[in-house]
Order: sequence, then C-alpha cells, then structure tokens
Amino acid sequence: MKRYLPWVGLICRLGLGGVLLAAGLLKYQHLDKSQMAVRAYEMLPISVANFLGIILPFVEIAVGVLLIIGAAVRISAFVSGALMIAFIIGISQAWARGLSIDCGCFGGGGQVEPGTANYLPELLRDGGLALMAIYLFRYPQSKFGLDRQRKDGEQING
Amino acid sequence: MENRSMANQKPGKDNFTRNIVIAVVVGVVLIMLVPTLLSKQTNTSAKVPASVSADRGYGIVFNEELTGVPVIEIYEDFQCPVCAQFEKLQGDYIESLITAKKATVVYHTLSFLGPESVNAANAAACSADEGKFLGYHRALYANQPAENTGVWSNDVLGILGQAAGITSKSFTSCVNNMNYQGWVSNAAAAGAKANVNSTPTVFINGKEINRQTEYFSADKFKAAVERG
Repeated sequence: MKRYLPWVGLICRLGLGGVLLAAGLLKYQHLDKSQMAVRAYEMLPISVANFLGIILPFVEIAVGVLLIIGAAVRISAFVSGALMIAFIIGISQAWARGLSIDCGCFGGGGQVEPGTANYLPELLRDGGLALMAIYLFRYPQSKFGLDRQRKDGEQING
Repeated sequence: MENRSMANQKPGKDNFTRNIVIAVVVGVVLIMLVPTLLSKQTNTSAKVPASVSADRGYGIVFNEELTGVPVIEIYEDFQCPVCAQFEKLQGDYIESLITAKKATVVYHTLSFLGPESVNAANAAACSADEGKFLGYHRALYANQPAENTGVWSNDVLGILGQAAGITSKSFTSCVNNMNYQGWVSNAAAAGAKANVNSTPTVFINGKEINRQTEYFSADKFKAAVERG
C-alpha cells in the first residue's frame, strides 16, 4: 500500500460525501421539486418517480454523512457509485431524446426553456464523482475514518 | 515503512463504535423519512375551500356545471415569474371565458417554489371562500415579489385582500391561521400525480397545449381553446 493512498481516499471521501450531502439537503428543502425533477426524466412510471423523488434526498444525505465520517466506506462508495451511474444514464437519455430539463442535481428540476439545458458539464461532474466512488470501492482505506484497518492496510469491514 | 501509516490507527476505533455510528446515521435518516412520507399522503379530511373539486385534483373550479365547453386546467405557482407573465397575457381572456360561461376553468395552485407559495395558495383558497378568487389571483400576480424573499408573510397576504375588495375579518383569520394548509398539500400531490413538471402548465380537455407556441401568444392560445 503506498503511503499517499489513504490521503487520496480521504479527499475522495470528503469530495464525494460533501457533494452528496449538499445535494441531498438542497433537495430535502423542496421535495415537491425533487419529485418533479425525477418525473421530468420521463423514464419511470409517475408513481414510481414520485416515490423516488422523496426517497432519493434521504439516501444521498445518509451516504454523504457516512462517507464524510468514514464509516462503511465500501458500501457507501458502492451506493454512491450506483447513484452516479444512474444519474449519468438519466441525463444521457434526456440529452439523446432532446428533452429540455433541469437535471435537478442540487434541488431545482423539471422542464426548462428549450435550448437552455446544458447536459455536458453535468455529465462530466457525475463522471468524476463516479470515478471517486469506484476508487473508494477499490481502496476504501483512508485517513481519519471510523472503519477499522488491518495492519497490512487492507480493509476489514465492508 | 509501508505499513506505518496504517499501523498508527488508534485501537479504540473498533467495530462497536463504528457500528453505533452507522446505526445512528441510518436511524436518524429513517426517522426523518417517515413523517415526510406520511405528509405526502392525501389527507381526505383536510378542509376544502369553496368551489374546490377533489375529483378535479383539488383545483378551484369555475363553471363546473357546464357541458360541451372546453375544460381549461391551469397549474401554477403564485411565486413563479413565468406564471405572472402568463396571467398578464392570458388572464383577461380566461376571466372573460369564465364570465361568459364559455369554458370550465380549473385553477391548480401548486406550491413547489417554497413556503411563501404555500402561504399564497392558502390565502387564495381563503379568497375563494369570499367569492373573490379571481380578483385575488390577479392581485397576487400584480404584486408578485422575488421568490422567497420574505415579502409574502401572512400579514401582507391578508392586507393584499383589499386589492381584490376583500375586507372581512374571516379572510384575514383564514390567512393567518393557514386554514387550508392541508388542502395546499393535497393540491400539490394531485399535481405530482398529473405529471406536471413546470409552471404554468395548461391542459385543455386533458391535453397539454404546445409549450413552444401556444402559451405566450394570445391568438394561438385562443385558437387552442376554441379547438378544444
């Protein structure tokens, strides 16, 4: 295990966890909008989209907090990686189908004026966050975390 | 050397502490989630203002009794600037359809922009009880502040009633006591079920009009209504 890797892990944990916590809290302020954001992707049946719009902010908050304090890093990294991949799929299909929507990533959401949607930066950001999640899944050990580490540097807990 | 950085983890960081922390985080989030889910359930016992039809998604209905006329459903949020533009351009025409009994019009007052939208929707419901919904609707848009700047307190919304000729004590107490808060969230839930993803959204006979062309052209909107 290289000595700097736990520091890289810490940066990933704080970066990914911070973004998820902020996104979750902003969505939590306006759950109606969060539901609207999920519906606007036009991927899911309305009732499922509405349910997901309520659940998603809570999942983001929980995973974000766990990553920041460094507990259950591997599971949290898996969940956040899955979320990012789902977001990338959602945004890509919206772009491909020519929908004009706000991604609703940090609150907001729903339809926007045609031509004002800007999907590329959103995809790049989510791609970067997905890479952080994949890194943490592969190397969950990091500085200042609660998860116990073995002396050889391998993670004991999932 | 390779292992130094790992080896100095404190022995107190055991599974017990970690598991307690995980349990607390997950538990707190679940405790927050339950009341949220419950609050999204339609509350059928919530007080409903005059001329509201639960069958029509808790909208405020005009000319419910007419048959063979177009049904215009308007989903709006009193804080939404584009809704104010829509009201400015089409408001008079829609009101003329109501007074001439040429259309059934349903106003769905959504509240996704924030707490002041909830206040405004509640106040609008109170104005419906006074039989002055259309006037108050107009007054709200004419005096629309920037979103969630704290301007639309219930005191201000009560005073704004005067602009629509509402002077009764019952109106101000209805506004201040948030009598229709339950109805406001029912209307929001109904809007979510109707797949309304932006405001204003207008359905004519159940079909959304063309977002590119028909919202902000007086002629095209009129044509869409007459087409039915």
